[in-house]
Amino acid sequence: MPEIDLHRIHKGFDPAQIPSIVYGNKSIEDNSPSDYPYSDTAACKFLPKKIPKKIFYKNTAFVNQEEFSTSIIDLPDNQDPITQATLLENEEDQVQELIFQIRKSLSITYHESLANRLLTLFNDAKEEDSTSLGISVGSLRNFYNFFQLHFNLKCPTISLTPDYNIYASWRGEQNRVFSVHFLPNGDARFVIFRPNDRHPGRQIRLSGIATTDVLMKTVVPDSVSDWISE
Amino acid sequence: MKGETIPDQNHIARFCRPMQAPEGQIQATAFMLRADDESLSVNWLEFFNCSNRENEIAKIQTIYSETFTVGARARIAILNVGEVRKKVLTESPDGRNLEVLHDPSINDPSHSGIYNLKQDDELIAELILETVSESYSARK
Repeated sequence: MPEIDLHRIHKGFDPAQIPSIVYGNKSIEDNSPSDYPYSDTAACKFLPKKIPKKIFYKNTAFVNQEEFSTSIIDLPDNQDPITQATLLENEEDQVQELIFQIRKSLSITYHESLANRLLTLFNDAKEEDSTSLGISVGSLRNFYNFFQLHFNLKCPTISLTPDYNIYASWRGEQNRVFSVHFLPNGDARFVIFRPNDRHPGRQIRLSGIATTDVLMKTVVPDSVSDWISE
Repeated sequence: MKGETIPDQNHIARFCRPMQAPEGQIQATAFMLRADDESLSVNWLEFFNCSNRENEIAKIQTIYSETFTVGARARIAILNVGEVRKKVLTESPDGRNLEVLHDPSINDPSHSGIYNLKQDDELIAELILETVSESYSARK
């Protein structure tokens, strides 16, 4: 891993680009994606031709108190200060970075399938509208945090809401449904359909909202984890 | 006619974007409103006066292709108006009474809308999904 000089100020560095607090005494790693071992062409399709150098800082200022990375983009010398296009590109970079992290998260049972599905959705969204977000970064981060906490879940069907948030659905026997809308702010809105054990043929339908870190505890009375876990 | 209630025995078509129909399977996200939408856009199939579903779908595909980019994996969901309204009225927690109204535009005279939806209606979107009776490719 290349050594990073914290005292060096990069040309073109704009502090306004820092999206959240960076703690200087936290561990720092250079996760430059230039050597990503993407194994399929779909993954490479939207990689920018010239990838800005990134420095990743770990912090814990998130609702789930999960570690996540805050990136500072070292813009090329001749690039103008932040523009809308640059911001969008940066968000796309973050989306691809997160999908890559999911792909390499061996602890998540279906890490490869999840990453492939997310990439397909991202490509589909971009095919329709190249100026769209593709996938909301905040929603994807929320989704990833959820799967880091619950790595033994069956692979859900994933789709995107009109706002490009991730919506994961598990469907089981007797018309069971557990769907989760991962919001960018760390919340998740969920829907549960399950059989009514006391009244065969009738269904219990519930919806609610919770932060993703307590979502599965919230739905314990509905025995959701019994049928969506491996 | 704008504002005309579409009869319960009639059918509507909903365009499902590829990101809302992964692997060809239509998901509840296809029935969610965008932030600024007042209603969920659909097309009134009986408006075309076609003799069969195949011709209705061909008309819808033409309207789509002339109006916006249609992704290769985009789908068309077919719904019966009465079934959707009954399902949501009887099974949503607040007994929601959806209205399906004709809302024509110059380029899309069959355009209609499902009204009385809200932005955070995941449960109702799941109920509507359960009433999808047929699906077709959205591309010609």
